[in-house]
Amino acid sequence: MTTSVTPPGMIEIGIDGKPVRVPNGTTVFDAARINGISIPTLCHLQNQTPVGVCRLCVVDTGARVLSASCVRPVEPGMKVVTNSEKVLNVRKTLLELLMSDHPSPCARQEKSGDCELEALAKAAGISQPRFAKRSVARGNDDSSLAIAVDHDACILCDRCIRGCDEVKNNFVLGRMGKGYSAGIAFDLNAPMGDSTCISCGECMVSCPTGALTNKGLAGTAIAGGPGAEIFEAEELLQIPVFKGVSGTFLELNRGAIVNRHFRKGEVICREGEFGSTAFYIVEGRAKVSISTPIAHVKTQGGAKGFFNRLTSTLVGREEDKREEEARDRTIPIDASVDLSYGNPVAELGPGDLFGEMTCMNFYPRSATVIAESDVVAYEMLRNVLDIMLKNKTFRAQLDETYRRRALENHLRGVPMFADLSPEFIGHLKEGVELQRFAPGQAIVQQGEPADSFYLVRIGFVKVSENYPGGEMVLAYLSRGDYFGEIGLLGGGVRTATCTALDHVELVRVSGDDFRDMVARFPSVRTGLEAVAAERRAANQQRLQMVHSVPIDQFLSQGLMEAQSLLILDLQNCTRCDACVNACADAHDGVTRLVRDGLRFDRYLVATSCRQCRDPLCMVGCPVGSIRRRNSLEVIIEDWCIGCGLCARNCPYGNINLHPFEVLADDPENAGRKKAVIKQKATSCDLCTHLKEPSCVYACPHDAAHRVDPKAFFGEMLSQGGAK
Amino acid sequence: MIFDDLRAIQLRCGFLPTAELEGLSQHTQTPLYQIHSVASFYPHFHLAPPAKAEIRVCADMSCHLNGACELRAELERRFAGSRREDVQIRDVSCLGRCDHAPAASINDQIFTGVSAGSAEQIMRSALRGEEVREARPDQARFACKADPYGDGEKYGVLRKVTQSHAWDDVLAQLKVAELRGMGGAGFPTSMKWDLVRKQTDSVKYVVCNADESEPGTIKDRFIMTNLPHLVIEGMIIAGLVTGAKRGILYIRHEYALQEDILSAEIRRCRSAGLLGKKILGSDLDFDLEVFVSPGGYICGEESALIEAIEGHRAEPRNKPPFPGQIGLWQKPTVINNVETFINVPQILARGVDWFVAQGANGSRGLKFVGVSGHAAHPGVFEVPMGTTMREVIFNHAGGIRGGRQLKAFAPSGPSSGYLPASMIDVCLDFKALADAGSMLGSGAIIVCDDTTCMLDMALNAVRFYRNESCGKCVPCRIGSQKMADLLGRWTQGNVPEPQYRSDLALLDDLSQAMSQTSICGLGQIAPAPIQSVLKHFRAEIDAHVLQGQCPSGICFTAASRAGEVQRVGIRP
Repeated sequence: MTTSVTPPGMIEIGIDGKPVRVPNGTTVFDAARINGISIPTLCHLQNQTPVGVCRLCVVDTGARVLSASCVRPVEPGMKVVTNSEKVLNVRKTLLELLMSDHPSPCARQEKSGDCELEALAKAAGISQPRFAKRSVARGNDDSSLAIAVDHDACILCDRCIRGCDEVKNNFVLGRMGKGYSAGIAFDLNAPMGDSTCISCGECMVSCPTGALTNKGLAGTAIAGGPGAEIFEAEELLQIPVFKGVSGTFLELNRGAIVNRHFRKGEVICREGEFGSTAFYIVEGRAKVSISTPIAHVKTQGGAKGFFNRLTSTLVGREEDKREEEARDRTIPIDASVDLSYGNPVAELGPGDLFGEMTCMNFYPRSATVIAESDVVAYEMLRNVLDIMLKNKTFRAQLDETYRRRALENHLRGVPMFADLSPEFIGHLKEGVELQRFAPGQAIVQQGEPADSFYLVRIGFVKVSENYPGGEMVLAYLSRGDYFGEIGLLGGGVRTATCTALDHVELVRVSGDDFRDMVARFPSVRTGLEAVAAERRAANQQRLQMVHSVPIDQFLSQGLMEAQSLLILDLQNCTRCDACVNACADAHDGVTRLVRDGLRFDRYLVATSCRQCRDPLCMVGCPVGSIRRRNSLEVIIEDWCIGCGLCARNCPYGNINLHPFEVLADDPENAGRKKAVIKQKATSCDLCTHLKEPSCVYACPHDAAHRVDPKAFFGEMLSQGGAK
Repeated sequence: MIFDDLRAIQLRCGFLPTAELEGLSQHTQTPLYQIHSVASFYPHFHLAPPAKAEIRVCADMSCHLNGACELRAELERRFAGSRREDVQIRDVSCLGRCDHAPAASINDQIFTGVSAGSAEQIMRSALRGEEVREARPDQARFACKADPYGDGEKYGVLRKVTQSHAWDDVLAQLKVAELRGMGGAGFPTSMKWDLVRKQTDSVKYVVCNADESEPGTIKDRFIMTNLPHLVIEGMIIAGLVTGAKRGILYIRHEYALQEDILSAEIRRCRSAGLLGKKILGSDLDFDLEVFVSPGGYICGEESALIEAIEGHRAEPRNKPPFPGQIGLWQKPTVINNVETFINVPQILARGVDWFVAQGANGSRGLKFVGVSGHAAHPGVFEVPMGTTMREVIFNHAGGIRGGRQLKAFAPSGPSSGYLPASMIDVCLDFKALADAGSMLGSGAIIVCDDTTCMLDMALNAVRFYRNESCGKCVPCRIGSQKMADLLGRWTQGNVPEPQYRSDLALLDDLSQAMSQTSICGLGQIAPAPIQSVLKHFRAEIDAHVLQGQCPSGICFTAASRAGEVQRVGIRP
């Protein structure tokens, strides 16, 4: 012991027989640490307030029970023992308790070999814990894009909670429940991905075990293309939009965001291609356009005689007008601007983000982007984009860009809103709320009070209604579509459930603004009411059918989905193939009909477009060109870019891609054109250019029929005809 | 206050719907996680719609000894096939009705002496949509020796000290009387008050811990029913002595009747000028309010209780600092048990000599004890401190029911462990019981007759701690579960001897870790019941574990094997 007098403000204690002098208020843990005596701990981190819950840091201070050194302030004359047999034994028992419930090796131990619990257990010589294992697993939460949660590996050390609430002030994470069933929870125990978590990563870097791990520990890097520079975490943290993100988290995602330089004229991304990245323009200007000719496949000629060779050509909207022209004045694309139908070109500049749908939902690129000047852009993968989208600063900036550049077009894109005064559009632009939903999240629930009107900005929304035995999909809504008006105009109650199918962003107009709008603009009201009435009537019709038909078998074959079926009566059919040949003849030698498919009773349901009730083909179209006409026929609009997603989505294999040779800008030689092969999707068009479908017309045995399944099978089922 | 908001929502909706909690979060600017962390912690709050008829049968010691398992099994038979949204049969921790076991709460209303028939009748009426109301019998107040006022004017001590301001004298008298805390720990009251009095903060608090939740503890319920004025007088004096201006009486929510009695007494005091600004015309202020606990045994731990008042999860704090230095809202806080507070006016009104003379066998003062379990006349009794257990059990509580033999007794619920009948002459006193390897605790005497299986009782106690652990620290959260697992295996019998030996070593390691490293008394004391049973009834445990035999014929019966009567065990 020193004999000198302890200076004021300092306290002298003994640790393991060694006299040490530390400032008043120091904890025993820190006093030991400063003097080179290490005490094990799991719940204590130097940058967080100590909580003393893991109890591994207990030491003997001569009191009745041991003290957790991380929360025990030093007292003058205290004699601390950190390594007696008693202390070491209880620490070992605590580790055994923790290890008995630990899924060893946990995700962290497996990936990076640095689970703190497993390291301490190994050091204490614990191989097989003597306690019984936890009998019921607590489960995983895989809902966050960036962070994997394994509740079984959680030791409730509180480090993530303090990281979230105390270090980052995000206030998302807490403890839930009590006793042995206690656990960590996000918000009101929401899945992490649906919670208000902003994926800053602090919880994950605070976690001592594999309970919260970075999902992208392997294979997150973007393959370095020409002009790609990988960002280091320190550089990223200098960029304002990464403010608040954990540096360690960015390090773990090294390579998932790169700095790209594009020369003038260089193609940044091409329409129809699949991709997994989004771009954020930092410097320069880029041109966004659709290069595929704006036209659809049209079979010319009609029934001019048996020997007359029919030809398919591309025709545009000017030559072959379709109804509902007012609807599509703009083409929705995956950027903060929409393209005008007449001149599908727009410009993107600094602060613009594009490719969000491709990156978040893995849809094909919706347009081609070419550098108009030299362009510097950040290219990022989904895990980084997710972090950025949840970052408050970045989000605010994106929302601001959107409000400034696209919201007005978007609002005016709703046909009924065309009559709104510029002042009112201005008022809406300020007042609307931009909302985001994760896949599977309910936006509105049937039966709930209706309090808002929504415009779809990004993603697909499924509209469905509950009925006995399941749900019925009424529609898929994508960019430019809207919903919520029925509830607001009608009884004030939601008549259907709307669910986000993928990463969905919506523009929410409050109920008050909506009511204000319909009061001030009677034409808007009339228009909306007409649409609402139409939607209600269509839904009513569907539900009546549901109630009138014994449907289990019907449903099990997916026939329920169909609006119009080509059926072949197998009792009459002689397999002469006349229908297939007729279809080929009517469509440029390529048949859209295959005489194969499901059987229902004595009928073969041939593979030809069923004009489904739940048209899965429409989900994901990056440019929204596949849609349903009011006559229920599914049509493909002229600006189809031939990506082929709809063909892959159709469960019945009824959409085909047609190759066409067209002239397009030559990317290598600016200003010159060259011939390229482009694809356009086609589906059964019900031979609208003929009097009736040519397959039905051609059948010599009266075996082929186009029928409305509900009427046809409904009658049959109710008569007990089906075996 | 968050609990008031949550209660309001639950009253309106029957449970706590997500949308309501989201609204509350926005309205009160409270993060969602904070609301969920408390709503999911307290058993009082339902996060899902409750069943139309929800019965929770008390599973703890006294009710366990009085057929709670059989009652539950019979109800499950009678309501077999009922839909979950209609009927739910669960268990619940001690409801504080140990003298009228078995107790059950049906739709949050408490019923005592419940039989399968009476419970079924109430549940059927709930299923018909009728409101369930607990009975509130009008009881005449018992005259207690502890009441210095009798039928005369009350609050005499308060009147005296507001005149004299002799605070030091009050502390000196309590010190000479050697008054100790009656909640279990037995800390000298004068030291606690003196510590708070010396703190320089201008804001201080007095808290009365009326959250008695230890199985068998019913004395505070009795005191609050019969001597509410002494509780309040004791609290006011504590406030005046220590300089606190605000008091909070923290009462468990199962004590609705006592809450009413105390609230009425507080109103009377306010109108009589005994509470509020300028008490009795002096320059002294003190006011008092009742805080209803959202539930849980852990809330009886003083720092957990403070956390609960602050609207947090009731998780005990690391100590030091103690509440006397940093307590409620970070301010110095006197926190005492109900019975401690009523001792203060007794001593001050009648003098230390009177107090000393009240005890027996060298002890001081009077003690309220609850006797339950297999006692012939269970109830609360006012006895001299130092009375022998024999006298309490056989003279006051009428001995063992049905003329059976006494096998064991717990001097104070599970925390005191079990002592064998041979130790019946131990005195009801802090030191005597500590010397016997037990504790005076809160005077919750539970009596077991010769049909009782001690392994069953030990497991019952461990499961109580497991169920009531807050989950904050590792040793208690995981240790109590593993201990219950281990004892559960023993009750299945036929464990090979080497395994049993290593189990015993493991149990010792676990007990040591829990009692040495747990943050609060709950985890520290949880190993006591099994350790006491191993000490006094080792042969009985050996018979179970090694031979698969239960000397009391409780375990290994056909019914217990078939799981019909879960004699051993509460929650699966």
